[in-house]
Amino acid sequence: MTAPATLPDFTPPPLLVVTGVEQSFGGVMALAGVSFQVPAGLIYAVIGPNGAGKTTLFNDLCGFYQPSAGSIRFDGHELCGLPPHRIAARGMARTFQNLQLFFNMTVVENVMVGCHLRARTGLLAVALRLPQVRREERQLRVWAREALELCDLAHRAEQPAGALPYGLMKRVEIARALAAKPRLLLLDEPAAGLNDTETLALRELIARIRASGVTVLLVEHNMPLVMNVSDRLLVLDYGSVLAEGTPAEIQADPRVIAAYLGGAVQYAV
Amino acid sequence: MRLAGFYAFAAFVALLPVLFRDNYFVTVVGASAGLHVILAVGLNLLMGYAGQISLGHAAFFGMGAYASAILTTRFAWPGLLAMAAGLLVAGAVAWLLARPILRLRGHYLAMATLGFGIIIHVIMVQAMRWTGGPDGLAGIPPLNLFGWTVEGDQQWYGVIAAAMLLAIWLSLNLVDSQVGRALRAVHGSEFAAQMMGVDTGRAKTQVFVVSALFAAFAGSLFAHQQAFVSPDSFNLIVSVELVTMVVLGGMASTFGAACGAIALTLLHQGLVVFEDYEMLIHGALLMAVMIFLPQGLFVGLSQGAQRLWVLAKRRWRSS
Amino acid sequence: MPEQLFQFLVTGVTVGSIYALVGLGFALIYNASDVVNFAQGEFVMLGAMTAIALLGAGLPLPLAAVAATLLTVLIGLLLERFAIEPAFGASVVTTIIITIGAAILVRGIALLLWGKDFHALPSFSGDAPLHLGSATLLPQSLWVLGGAVVLVTLVHTFLNHTLLGKALLACSFNRAAAQLVGINVRVMLRLAYGLSAGLGALAGILIAPITFSSYEAGVMLGLKGFSAAIVGGIGNPMGAVAGGLLLGVLEALGAGLISSGYKDAIAFLFVLMVLFFEPTGLFGHKVAERV
Repeated sequence: MTAPATLPDFTPPPLLVVTGVEQSFGGVMALAGVSFQVPAGLIYAVIGPNGAGKTTLFNDLCGFYQPSAGSIRFDGHELCGLPPHRIAARGMARTFQNLQLFFNMTVVENVMVGCHLRARTGLLAVALRLPQVRREERQLRVWAREALELCDLAHRAEQPAGALPYGLMKRVEIARALAAKPRLLLLDEPAAGLNDTETLALRELIARIRASGVTVLLVEHNMPLVMNVSDRLLVLDYGSVLAEGTPAEIQADPRVIAAYLGGAVQYAV
Repeated sequence: MRLAGFYAFAAFVALLPVLFRDNYFVTVVGASAGLHVILAVGLNLLMGYAGQISLGHAAFFGMGAYASAILTTRFAWPGLLAMAAGLLVAGAVAWLLARPILRLRGHYLAMATLGFGIIIHVIMVQAMRWTGGPDGLAGIPPLNLFGWTVEGDQQWYGVIAAAMLLAIWLSLNLVDSQVGRALRAVHGSEFAAQMMGVDTGRAKTQVFVVSALFAAFAGSLFAHQQAFVSPDSFNLIVSVELVTMVVLGGMASTFGAACGAIALTLLHQGLVVFEDYEMLIHGALLMAVMIFLPQGLFVGLSQGAQRLWVLAKRRWRSS
Repeated sequence: MPEQLFQFLVTGVTVGSIYALVGLGFALIYNASDVVNFAQGEFVMLGAMTAIALLGAGLPLPLAAVAATLLTVLIGLLLERFAIEPAFGASVVTTIIITIGAAILVRGIALLLWGKDFHALPSFSGDAPLHLGSATLLPQSLWVLGGAVVLVTLVHTFLNHTLLGKALLACSFNRAAAQLVGINVRVMLRLAYGLSAGLGALAGILIAPITFSSYEAGVMLGLKGFSAAIVGGIGNPMGAVAGGLLLGVLEALGAGLISSGYKDAIAFLFVLMVLFFEPTGLFGHKVAERV
């Protein structure tokens, strides 16, 4: 059985408050009452064995699934019941475990789609190519370039998205998510498939993202990366919260070690 | 310049009747090609950019044509007003149909659009009191554009050419914009597009309506140009032809769709010569092009041209 | 009123049996290849027209029927070899257009061979109408129903109780896995096309005495058969059969009770309604997309 985690005192108020979220798919209980809070400005990681419900949790947060029970409050507003594009409008962005790039476009075009919420001109103005459309196109390109520069991808802007090596494609997804200027960025296994050099670059990128004021929620299996970069961790097992705390606390937690980490391995913090 | 290709094409279209004076081929076949371009460019927005299949697009073409035909012959409406009514009807039907139909995927979507096209065609044939039944409606008055009555092949060439250029210009603007990118995003990955804040349902509805409006617009022009409409011009074969034009041109390219439309129009003109063999050759050609040039004529030709260019350069260097 | 309903039902089931057989052909090919073969309707037309031609040339009816079926099967195999195989891996829209092109080609050949005239096959066992309760039944209808039952049962047994049939189904569930266990997917594809062509031809021969055949007869039948397969959930052979019967009955009821001119519109409206409420057909696999 899981013991309820005691949440330490935080000021400022948490950005994301998840309370008692349950998700069932026909008889299978993927999430059995998950509660946690993510304070603003932190890097918060969700870890756990395969099948623990991490991606299901992400999909619930983004609105791709509707939780069967519970509440998700983001910046004070309830998210349950909203479709994904409305949740995105509230300031959440995400990357995907299996790459969901727009392979039919170039890198910079992908990132410009990320700026969608910052674009204002309507269908008719666009069809008639009114002056504000031209101005907005230039502005969108500038914003896209900024996001690409943050992710060290500016030199690849005009290449077709599918022509990039895998590691860079994952970074394009991050740039694309950042272009929306989100409050909360969800990274779904960003290190999957990356080699050590690329993982190091990813770690630096996540630090830069945090420095720019974006809160990061990340699902990851790469333990050295997670322990190194995160401020707090949530451990899920069989759809329930097993433990919650700082990397040091989690690494020392015997339940977590038994269920997931396997043996008393110390990751440099 | 962004529209360099467009201006070149416009110049070509304007010069054609000047270079070939009083040429039936240019004015009549050209006009027919022009209408097909409008239809193909509109359908391309739906198929090439938003990634949806529609095997019933002739229905919207027919809605515009019959609206113009019925309102001008039976109710003596002015041509432009009837055209506006046709646009409204086609747009409304597309808007109502979009949500339930565009939830479908692949062959289910193909079936639904096909079924829709057939239902509209059956109505055209059966609702005799309104549509004139299988024999259609004749005696459609000429189109009156703010005092100028469009009469004769030359004038119709001019009107349709202008309409076609307008359609291409609108399409280019839509594609090369945030709206166009959002559409292509929906095609690329609906999940990711939603997460970027794109209301994918609304985007798909919008492009469906826009493509229907293009088709209805072409339909109204067609009705006045021919002064006659019948259900035969709006059946499944026509819908398949339109899809072929888009695919032939290489999807996701406005000029590709235009090329496909022109190529197929010319092909049909050429095939008329073969009379009884027309259907057989038509089928064989369709298969051959799709098997050997699946990426489309436009892309295929430009790739072929590129290869020739590389070969030519190599030969020039070695000489 | 009930007597009329019964009559419509009888008509509906008869016509529905043909839709079921054509739909079954669609389902088989889709199973083996993920391709919808829009030339399926032309197999029906070919079966009927070839049988009529052979009969006219002096062959006795049973022999003409068998020969026509075999010839159509050959056409089906040729289609697969020269149109489908070269385009392996092409997109959905491209393959749809290829098969539509093939349909037009076949129709063009039929037009050349037989012109635009209508032809009919003589009924297998006479034209004296039978009386089933208050409904009138043509003896040929019994042939259609009986033939359909036999064919569907044979196909069902083949698919579910023979190794070859199960191999064919396996291709639809997971082609890569099927290849890995040694199933030759190419051969399965040819089998599917041959089988579908044969089913189509037999359906055409069965119905030819009741409806008039011409070079265009395959178009609407093909579309209705496709609708049957879609309504049943494309890829589900027995679903296609159920879909065909349902479509036939609803069409007959619509034609009888509402308007016979609009019967095709009613049929397709039914298909649209099914799709709006069950986007993957009544008995189709629900596809879940992983994010």
